[in-house]
Amino acid sequence: MLEVSPTTEVLARALDACALRHSVYSANLANAGVDGYRRLEVQFDAEAMRALVTGGMSADVPSTPPEIVTTQSAVKLDEEMAALAKNALQYQMLTRMYEGSLGTLRAAIHEGREA
Amino acid sequence: MNLFSVFDISSAGMSVEQTRLAVAASNVANAHTTKTTDGRVYKPLSVSVRSVASHGQPASYQDIAARVVGGSAMELSAAALPRPVVAGVVAGSAPPRLVYDPGHPDADERGFVSLPAVDPVASQLELISAVRSYEANLAAFEITRSLIQRTLEIGKSR
Repeated sequence: MLEVSPTTEVLARALDACALRHSVYSANLANAGVDGYRRLEVQFDAEAMRALVTGGMSADVPSTPPEIVTTQSAVKLDEEMAALAKNALQYQMLTRMYEGSLGTLRAAIHEGREA
Repeated sequence: MNLFSVFDISSAGMSVEQTRLAVAASNVANAHTTKTTDGRVYKPLSVSVRSVASHGQPASYQDIAARVVGGSAMELSAAALPRPVVAGVVAGSAPPRLVYDPGHPDADERGFVSLPAVDPVASQLELISAVRSYEANLAAFEITRSLIQRTLEIGKSR
């Protein structure tokens, strides 16, 4: 991928993790009726998000990929739906931020003039 | 990360719930069926559902976790996630209810009629649960669609 800035990089990773989380929650919903199914969860290093919040300008973007882990709890439809909706909003927010971070590149291409 | 494979997971969920709905409806509808095509009393059916990985093997969750963690973020694929399939529709072994009704054409020599062991409350619950789960899968399907649409809009705004 074209490296625009560390921020763009971090956002891309966060988007990836968010998409994975969406598919895991969807799988939990689909398998809710299976006897003995334990819900899966995604663990994504909070480091990446923290790097983003604190400026994100350090070159060492954490490279730990998100992990899928098995929990001990059964699927509860309402909780899973809430998690799914929240995650979807987060995904939309991240796409907006990603667009924003591309905006600086756009400004550079147009030599600072209005595109 | 491929969001498109999430559609397969959600639709697998929906088709399983449809089967549960059909079976529960059949149990309710046949609550008073004293003679089926094989000449015996209707036996309430139940659906057994299990999770499989996309390649059709029974899914072991530790397996999935190990496989996905091994890859990098870009290689993570929803294809490895478990999806439900109907393993079978089986007739229950609960004995039929015996109701005294000597005038009934299917009554035995003592005047008892065998009625299916359909539990009306359990059947209703099964119906509701199947419908709710179906709706949840449908909602997940819709959300997946909107996320993909949103992704396609990156860079389009100006």
